[in-house]
Amino acid sequence: MKSLRTLLWLEHRRSWVWMASLLGSLAFWAWGIKQVRVMEVGERLGIRAGLLAMAAAVGVFVLCLMIGRIRAETRHGQYQVLLLTPPSGYTHVAARYLYAIGVALVYFITIGFLYWWIMALAGIHLDPTTLIELVLAVPFYAMCITVLPLLAWTLLLMVFISAYRVSGPGWVPGTVMLLGTPFVFRWLGEGIVRVSYSLPGWRLFANAPAALIERFGQPDPEAVLEIDRFLYLGVPLEPLLIMLALAAVMLVIAGRIWQEVEA
Amino acid sequence: MLARLQNVTKRYRTTEGVRDLSLDFPEGEIVGVLGLNGSGKSTMLKLIAGLLFPTAGTLTVFGGSARGNRSRTVFLGETDTLWPWMTPRDACRLMTGLYPDFEPHRFDELLDVLDVPRRKTKAMSKGERGRLRLAMALARSAKLYLLDEPLAGIDLLSREKILMSLVREWHTDETILLSTHEVAEAEGLFERAIYLRDGRLALDVPAEQLRQQGGSVVQTFKEVLA
Amino acid sequence: MTAETWVLDLNAGPIFEQIGKNVRMQLARGDLVPGGRLPSARDLAATLSVNPNTIVHAYGELEAQGIIEKRRGLGTFVKEDAPVETMRMDMLKEIAETFVNEVRQLGVENAEAMAALKEAWDAG
Repeated sequence: MKSLRTLLWLEHRRSWVWMASLLGSLAFWAWGIKQVRVMEVGERLGIRAGLLAMAAAVGVFVLCLMIGRIRAETRHGQYQVLLLTPPSGYTHVAARYLYAIGVALVYFITIGFLYWWIMALAGIHLDPTTLIELVLAVPFYAMCITVLPLLAWTLLLMVFISAYRVSGPGWVPGTVMLLGTPFVFRWLGEGIVRVSYSLPGWRLFANAPAALIERFGQPDPEAVLEIDRFLYLGVPLEPLLIMLALAAVMLVIAGRIWQEVEA
Repeated sequence: MLARLQNVTKRYRTTEGVRDLSLDFPEGEIVGVLGLNGSGKSTMLKLIAGLLFPTAGTLTVFGGSARGNRSRTVFLGETDTLWPWMTPRDACRLMTGLYPDFEPHRFDELLDVLDVPRRKTKAMSKGERGRLRLAMALARSAKLYLLDEPLAGIDLLSREKILMSLVREWHTDETILLSTHEVAEAEGLFERAIYLRDGRLALDVPAEQLRQQGGSVVQTFKEVLA
Repeated sequence: MTAETWVLDLNAGPIFEQIGKNVRMQLARGDLVPGGRLPSARDLAATLSVNPNTIVHAYGELEAQGIIEKRRGLGTFVKEDAPVETMRMDMLKEIAETFVNEVRQLGVENAEAMAALKEAWDAG
């Protein structure tokens, strides 16, 4: 689709500074990881893993900022230009979303590689299957349950606020949505937990415990039970499916608002 | 009939609005849309463009909804609407990718005629940006052109170039609705002049008829809207 | 052809009439000659920043009056047998009538008016 390609190009031209900064910042995190000089291997690994988790969280935050810039565009009239172009609101929303997801994918897969790196630094040798799981499956899962719905939500919020700016006090529903976000997430989270494991789980990291034991020795019996339980259950698929469905619904709504809105 | 307004009213909390406006726009006209600030000129053009929706009344554009027919209409708004990092080449890329009726060759010609520098818009003057946006608009082959104050805040030479380009690019089956405060400069172009006052239609008259009666579009402006 | 050779006052009556007057004036002066080419309606419209339809209207009137003709594929031309002399005389008559009218409003007598004319003619 020519229009989708053009809109993706536009997204890229608009956002490449954000993208470059985000991906470039990983070099900074990697440098930070190297600076960790704790003696004990396990502790060092733990701190490094924590840093990477922070990098992931920051990445999510920055991505939300990047996708949510419609407000500025509304003020300067560029939103008005786009609104009058032939492609549907769905196409516009899809272009913004796909670009952000593309950037997110590169970011989180790179973090996956960094996890492999810190494990290698700690002397843990992972077999190819676990490696692929770490670098691809985990980012995919993590993204599906956090980034994908969160970005869809941000996009919806921004489109909503921009839309109703003209014909009413748009900041009221927008503020309600924004303030309601933590409550929605909590309610959602609780609901998902209750429903989880109705379907069979996704067994990841089957070989990981063996590699850890090889490096750190046998853990205590309670830990063994937990590990066995985790290996048996796998990670729940429900959150994945629910979040993907929610993201899709939010994108459709955002596209619909864009179609019907004044500017 | 390219556009038809029947008792169209648009109410919203900012100043401009239109009240009970009924107008027909057949093809082949260059129409001057005249009025003071807040008289409803912008609102009317935005309604026809599909940017705004009527609160009451019926509006048909190309026989259907305004927003639905937006690909057959060219709207040139007042607010500076380009991204600061865009060059004319970027603009060409954008338009070609989104508008099937956009002609890159014509765009290049217009850039030359209108003397638009090949720089980022943030490095252009307001007049140059205005001319670029006009080139983008005129390089499309649509039937209905809605130009909202295309001469506003633009230097004299640019205004002359813009008016000349409008005359050259207009085809006899196209309709241009042009709202402007530079009534004296642009009045030669208008076949028809529409005067709006407080959102209502004050006068709708052929321009030559005004001159036949010893007046002019400008003179009538002062009479009708003072 | 430049914009300077065409005189247009947007407050002085319908544009199409003024265009007609301009053509006649140019013919009378010899700026334009029978068989000479006129600018295309669109070119003239662009130069003067007026609606092309107005020029088309003007040209149509001139054609009806037998002053110009459209030659297919070539453009618009002054007819070879355009009544230039008649136009000159008509124009002279018009100027003379204007002079007389204005001068009469000043309460000037015939003799005074003629004297003023002779003086102005001799000076120029």
